[in-house]
Amino acid sequence: MSSISGLQPDPSMIGGIAQPAYAKLPDPLALFATRSRRLAQLAAASEMKPYLVFLSALAEVQHDIQRDLPAPEGPDAETIARAAEFAMPPLDRGRFTLDAAFDATLERFLDGVRAVEKPLPAQAALDRVIAAGPVARDAMLRNVLTDSLPVESLAEHLFLAGALQVHFTRLAAGLPADRLAKLADGVCPCCGGPPLASLVVDWPQAPGARYCACALCGTLWNHVRVRCVVCGSTKGIGLQEVESGTGAVKAETCDECHSYVKVFYEGKDSGIDPLADDVASLGLDLLMRGGPYRRAAFNPFLLGY
Amino acid sequence: MNMELSRRQFLRTAGAGIAGTSLGAFGFGGVEEALADAIRPFRLTNTTEVRNTCTYCSVACGILIFSKGDLKKGEKAEITHIEGDVDHPTNRGTLCPKGAALLDIVHSKTRLQYPMMRKAGSDKFERVSWDVALDRVARVLKDDRDKNFIAKNNDGVTVNRWVTTGFLAASATTNEAAWCTYKVVRSAGMLVFDNQARV
Repeated sequence: MSSISGLQPDPSMIGGIAQPAYAKLPDPLALFATRSRRLAQLAAASEMKPYLVFLSALAEVQHDIQRDLPAPEGPDAETIARAAEFAMPPLDRGRFTLDAAFDATLERFLDGVRAVEKPLPAQAALDRVIAAGPVARDAMLRNVLTDSLPVESLAEHLFLAGALQVHFTRLAAGLPADRLAKLADGVCPCCGGPPLASLVVDWPQAPGARYCACALCGTLWNHVRVRCVVCGSTKGIGLQEVESGTGAVKAETCDECHSYVKVFYEGKDSGIDPLADDVASLGLDLLMRGGPYRRAAFNPFLLGY
Repeated sequence: MNMELSRRQFLRTAGAGIAGTSLGAFGFGGVEEALADAIRPFRLTNTTEVRNTCTYCSVACGILIFSKGDLKKGEKAEITHIEGDVDHPTNRGTLCPKGAALLDIVHSKTRLQYPMMRKAGSDKFERVSWDVALDRVARVLKDDRDKNFIAKNNDGVTVNRWVTTGFLAASATTNEAAWCTYKVVRSAGMLVFDNQARV
């Protein structure tokens, strides 16, 4: 996720070693375009090609709809200050209200997804979302925002999750990065969401530091390595990898809470996008099902494993 | 510890026994099956990752040690990689040339693994038991202390000094080990003492 163009001169590198920034806010205009390209690239050499191509098209829609989209109404200074004072996320999912920006985002997203080639169940779910009234839609949005999705109408919820990703990524991008602080283990400092995966970055200002990625708002937040991203334990941390793999994707297991979350190594593969690579490495999850660890990561497009 | 989070269920259902996945919901169930078939012949390899402190000097840089083989399952573990701990405030992932070569020390064939003694007049070291080694060290220390101990200085003031022997301890010791070392060494009267190697 780092790029050469993002290289900034950093005088602190001369005298000492800079402390990694706690949070890296997403760039909505780059995030989805990068993700779409990455998914397409991963699709080329994967048994999951049809699904990755589909997700790549969704990410492309997520990128394209942002052109001329009205700016979302972010939290005011007072809300941000209060959230910081009480160690609460500045983007309060529970108080999410529909505004003009989100209405436009959702309409454009659903409209864009119409043109995407997809299997019949996905098409039927999309039709149902489009036909749903405001009350039903609102209930589904609440489900997505509480990370609690009903199996019976999962696909419908996932289309709404796609629109919410765009909206919350744009909201997070407007937050003051330097005022974000750790809220709790395994909690996004912007929106309070669970981690999607973690990424050992290869940024010039913090090579080897580990960041957790948020599935909703795309924020990356620093998390000490060899420490469970779910429960914060440092005991019994192991890494499992598919035999003869490249070393870029591993499952970090915790013997305290018996869960695992994937960790990606940017030094081994520079193009990693946590959401895309998490989906594309489903094979690791399938093998992990035979072991004692449970998947604790939240990726809307890879639920149920 | 956030147990609420570790118990969180992302998928819920009204009917018991209904399982679903994002792939299945979108109609990509076939993709999942194809992948499951393709991945079946593969196995998982396990790596353990732990934090530790570099053993070389009192800077005490943080290191990450990676090993293959699970000790808990009775397997023999082998250290495969050592790198600087990026989260350690002292070194932030960096290591000096000695620290960067730690893996070679771990696997070095000439590394000291048990007590060795070169007897007076001999030209080679021989392996000895810990009992022999400790007895010998104690004997030599005692003889030296008995011979050179200074109980009073020239003015007749009690000083209890033993300056003909010095003591150098290790850098990766814990506070408690360092405290014990200090008590033993100082009680014996030794002045030439450093609990941690300096650079």
